[in-house]
Amino acid sequence: MTDDTDADVEPAVQPFDVGAIPPARSIRKFTAQAGNARGGASFGSLMSDVYYAVISLAISIGIALGFAQAMRVALPPAPDVAPPQGLSLAALVVVILVALAGVLLSLAGRLGPVGAGGAEAAWWLSLPVDRRGLLRPASRRLPILAAFVGAVVVTLLDAGLLSDTGGRLLRVALASAFGAAAIVLVAGVLQSAGVPRRTTALVGDLLLAAAPVCAVVLAATGWELDELPGPPWALVLVLALVVAGLVVLVDRRLGRMPERSLRESGSVASQAVGAVVSMDSRELGRALTDGAAPSARRWVSRLRTARGPASALVTADLVVLRRSARHMVQLVVAALVPVLASTVPQLASPAGVLLAVLVSGYVAMSATGEGARRAEMAPVLDRLLPLEAKEVRRLRMVVPAVAMLLWSLVAFAAIGRWTGDVPGWLALGIASTPVWAAGAVRSSYRPAPDWGGALVSTPFGALPTGVGSVLARGPDVVVLGLLPVWIAILLRTVSTPLLFVQVVLSVIAVAVASSVRKGSLLERLMEQADQQATTGPSGARR
Amino acid sequence: MRRGAWRTSGAATLTDVSKPVVRAQDLLVGYGGAPVCAPVSFTLAPGRAVALVGANGSGKSTVLRAVIGLLEPVSGSLQVLGGPVDERDVGFRRQVASVLDDDAYFPALTVSEHLYLTARGHGVRGADDVVEELLAEFGLTDHARSLPVSLSSGQRRRLLLAAGFVRPRSLLVLDEPEQRLDKAMRDRLAARLVEEKRSGGSVLLATHDTELLRAVADRAVVVADDVTRVMSAADAAQVISRENP
Repeated sequence: MTDDTDADVEPAVQPFDVGAIPPARSIRKFTAQAGNARGGASFGSLMSDVYYAVISLAISIGIALGFAQAMRVALPPAPDVAPPQGLSLAALVVVILVALAGVLLSLAGRLGPVGAGGAEAAWWLSLPVDRRGLLRPASRRLPILAAFVGAVVVTLLDAGLLSDTGGRLLRVALASAFGAAAIVLVAGVLQSAGVPRRTTALVGDLLLAAAPVCAVVLAATGWELDELPGPPWALVLVLALVVAGLVVLVDRRLGRMPERSLRESGSVASQAVGAVVSMDSRELGRALTDGAAPSARRWVSRLRTARGPASALVTADLVVLRRSARHMVQLVVAALVPVLASTVPQLASPAGVLLAVLVSGYVAMSATGEGARRAEMAPVLDRLLPLEAKEVRRLRMVVPAVAMLLWSLVAFAAIGRWTGDVPGWLALGIASTPVWAAGAVRSSYRPAPDWGGALVSTPFGALPTGVGSVLARGPDVVVLGLLPVWIAILLRTVSTPLLFVQVVLSVIAVAVASSVRKGSLLERLMEQADQQATTGPSGARR
Repeated sequence: MRRGAWRTSGAATLTDVSKPVVRAQDLLVGYGGAPVCAPVSFTLAPGRAVALVGANGSGKSTVLRAVIGLLEPVSGSLQVLGGPVDERDVGFRRQVASVLDDDAYFPALTVSEHLYLTARGHGVRGADDVVEELLAEFGLTDHARSLPVSLSSGQRRRLLLAAGFVRPRSLLVLDEPEQRLDKAMRDRLAARLVEEKRSGGSVLLATHDTELLRAVADRAVVVADDVTRVMSAADAAQVISRENP
């Protein structure tokens, strides 16, 4: 309904002289002007910030592009005869592109992609103005961001693995930018059509899961793709036209998006942005998971396996993990990454396999700690059960350990196949499982960074002291606790001493992750010294 | 505007002889298809007020959210202003004002600017006078230039309520408007809502406040998970008093 057709519908309570409804643009302008006036930032300082941001980004992309091209040059040439059950680099790039499309669709579905959060939802959406004008900037923010990130990531991928010609890279950058924007815009069209956000997210997750599974199947069946041609200009043009069409379509439908959908999306996006700004990966995970969770369950888990406090805790963690489709997909994909890396002849080097195990293991580990992360935020169950805090943490390692055991069986079997010693590598994988579980629990229970500390200069700008050590909780255990695995991969062999050291380190990692003490050893010593200084040598408070 | 006389139909339905502003018939509300309370049936006529009462978590706010279009009903029929609920419709937004528990504000806009935004967004001419009057009425004149972050919880609540009155409307939907208000402000709010009815406006509110209920509501719907009942405001106030002695 337009404003004109509404003119005859007058509200009953009208002690005011009502005139024309202002255009949405003026509402936006009024809000923005007040914000700019009180923000304390002059036009000059704003331009200066933009200038530095653009220059920094350009330099970063240039450096990354240089690294990618250097990596491509360093890659060994493809073997003249393709190995059986191997995957070519070109096929791997296709798999990665499909997986990236799945990730993007899943993210776009979880974030909205069109939303109005907080004040905008409360104060704008109730106005009888054309909502299209209010929501237009919000509807274009995510596609533009996706286009930029998509262009950078895919160009780096292409430059690092396939080609170095300038013309091709330009076409790749443009095609990937338009492709990424189109995916987000399709999510916007689905949102405007009333498709639930979790459905869009689920399609993205399934696409992500399907990519490596299909790749493994195709490699096993001997499918070959020797070369991946760059996108022709005609494809770039078609993608640009598709994006333009989708922009118009989404824009036309903005006014028909229900407020509840806009509020939900806006709320998730605000939470996610806040988490990114404060570098809180746990909060980001919660935002992305809860935003696409159904509000009710078709079936209720009766927790039949819970026979006491300990098993109740483990069962609860298992239910939490099982109900998160995103984390299950994350586990499957992460398990297949080492398999793919070890089947591509050019990547199947110690460095390539080590990187694949480290990254995919960390991704899988992050997926398994959902129960612990939720308990850290709301320790309701922990407080209800008659368990010591240390015991709770040990029990919270059970589900991550089981999940990472499954991951290890797949990943380390692939490494074993690569080196020709499957039993040895499986033994090392099983021995290293507790370290992953310890890393998951330690990172889940890490304290929130203290942003009020003294600032120190870092390559990422001024950061408060202690933030780095807090963020490193979890990854530190993984990097140090898996030293025997890293060494074994670099040497391409598993020896008994390495296996023994790994078992010892696993025990230490579990002990470290079970600790409920706060702060590092140094921080605890300083705190103790402070307390002694306050109470005096006799113990009496001064 | 013609005022209809109330009469009850059966044990759980209110009807009015004039064209209703809200008509809910066996309305079932909930999340993800799971209802949160028993079906609700009531009719709200122009110039009248209906209060939803019930225990915490009984589903009062959920019913209100369905009425203003923030929630799709699970089943049953719901009509607002003679048509289906569609908050995407500009005409709907012009006539239905709501004050929920949205504690969100533009951090850079002052108290008065929030009200100007709402008034001008609804095309109110002479918004300066209207805003000034409401600031005085809700005890916010001294805070007109304050940013929301500097307000107390009660002051922010008063700002939200003032925003509900700064714009034209046929139906005013309020979710526990008494929350965070002192006694004097609750009395003033009750008087304002009575005036709202006299002007021909309709009020649908969820409340736990027996005084507000007695002063404003013509009828009350007791929302519960087993059965909903329609009764007089006085009877509903007694129910609340009994349940919360």
